[in-house]
Amino acid sequence: MSKEPQVSATTWLVSISATCCLLLVFRRVLWLVVPGLSALVVYYCMKPLVRRLIRAGLKPRAAAQAVAGLLFLATVLAVILLFSRAHVSEWKATVGRYVQGGLEFLQTTEEILAQKLPLLRGSAILRNPPKDLDTISQNFAEKYLGAFLLQTLQWLPSLLLMPYLTYFLLQDGNRFKKQLVRSVPNAFFEKALLLFDRIDISLQGFFVGLMKLTFLDTVCLALGLWLFGISSPLVLGLVAAVLAWVPYVGSLAGCVIVVLVAATDFPTRPGITYGCVLLFFGVRILDDFFFLPNTIGRSLHIHPVLSVLMLFLGAELAGPTGLVLVLPVLGVVTVATETLGQILTDRCLRERYRLAKQLNARAALSVK
Amino acid sequence: MKSAFNFLRPAGDGPRIQELKKIGLFKQLSTRELREVDELLHERVYQKDEIIFDEGDIGLGLFMVVTGRVKLSSSHAPLQQLAPEFGSGDFFGEMALFDDAPRSARVTAVETAQVVALFRREFFSLMERNRSIGTKILLELARTVCRRSRLLLSGQKHLPLV
Repeated sequence: MSKEPQVSATTWLVSISATCCLLLVFRRVLWLVVPGLSALVVYYCMKPLVRRLIRAGLKPRAAAQAVAGLLFLATVLAVILLFSRAHVSEWKATVGRYVQGGLEFLQTTEEILAQKLPLLRGSAILRNPPKDLDTISQNFAEKYLGAFLLQTLQWLPSLLLMPYLTYFLLQDGNRFKKQLVRSVPNAFFEKALLLFDRIDISLQGFFVGLMKLTFLDTVCLALGLWLFGISSPLVLGLVAAVLAWVPYVGSLAGCVIVVLVAATDFPTRPGITYGCVLLFFGVRILDDFFFLPNTIGRSLHIHPVLSVLMLFLGAELAGPTGLVLVLPVLGVVTVATETLGQILTDRCLRERYRLAKQLNARAALSVK
Repeated sequence: MKSAFNFLRPAGDGPRIQELKKIGLFKQLSTRELREVDELLHERVYQKDEIIFDEGDIGLGLFMVVTGRVKLSSSHAPLQQLAPEFGSGDFFGEMALFDDAPRSARVTAVETAQVVALFRREFFSLMERNRSIGTKILLELARTVCRRSRLLLSGQKHLPLV
């Protein structure tokens, strides 16, 4: 690949402004952005499979249909399983149990700390321990579970759009790109191809890297949790790995869930819960120093300080969606701004474009 | 009236496929293979005197002349002496398929020219997807390079590699 040019301050400024505007727009059409983005992720992950099927002898259209069909079936099955096998009352009880486990763990921890460090004996929670943990946990489940389920139901039709969009991306993605390139004037033709290529590489690097990272995180966490004897280690590992898609905040949420489950599974052995926390931090360190550079790597070329600032900005502008979207959107917008900047500031290209316009006008006149 | 079984009948060679068949690089390809390659080709029309690419540009792929003529000019002495023209069926800019080096010459349309471009990355994806087509194109490219090298050694007029 060609060397990456240095990004100027103006490019960053334009990119950040454009990203903020896009996030505001995305917030308005979230019902379309979420399935669209999921379709894009699946498209990049399934592209190698479609290519393999084509190499095995299937026609491109048939390969796209086969993959999208399987995807649709998997989505429908997942939805049916989710809503048929579990009852809301069961979910409420489970959430309540885990919240209660977490509260009891907090109380146990504080008691242990008070034994080891007498200074903490006068702390608020020990002076006034929560009287009725059952009520607290039930209230928590009442308050948040219903809202969460309603939100999930609201998203269902939109999520079912995902396999449909993936099918069209797999089948007509290339044709769509060709149509877009066709509208570009001759002078900028090669640069436009370069732009599409770079955006394609950035997105592919990010999404495929994210999937690999999720897989590695899931395997490491599930293995560790299984060794500790925690229930449903694979599901917990997967949930924590998916939550980690939301940078920083997601990791913390994943850790809290793991702590709640460990504390509920082993209420009398807080050591196991601490072990789970250590495992979580261990996986995060592995992630940052080993997995991340080898999967997502430097595909987005964004400085860590800017990443953190953009995360705050994303959260402020578009809430949790902004947190997830801000970095990939900034990555793509930066690539586009950089290439467009190169095109617009290239005097030769502009000169060539002006000449081509004159020649086209002359040709049109001679036809008349 | 259209038959219900029309979809079973192989589609005939449309004018587009006929045009592609005339391009030297695609000589070995069947109609079905040409249709697959056509999905990747970008068609452009250049007016007389319009620059297709300039010397020093970073090349991203090769161009093939479908109709019309284009001429080559360069600051490099050997290319200046040749001052060749590429006509219908010829291809140029093939070196960009293999590396990122800047273009060694400027190519301008002598008359209104319809060209098709094959982008490097798309060519590589085609090679991955359908090795048979990729091999046929690469073989034809290698044959052309050999032919042009022989003409160069024997001092005869030839089209250069750009």
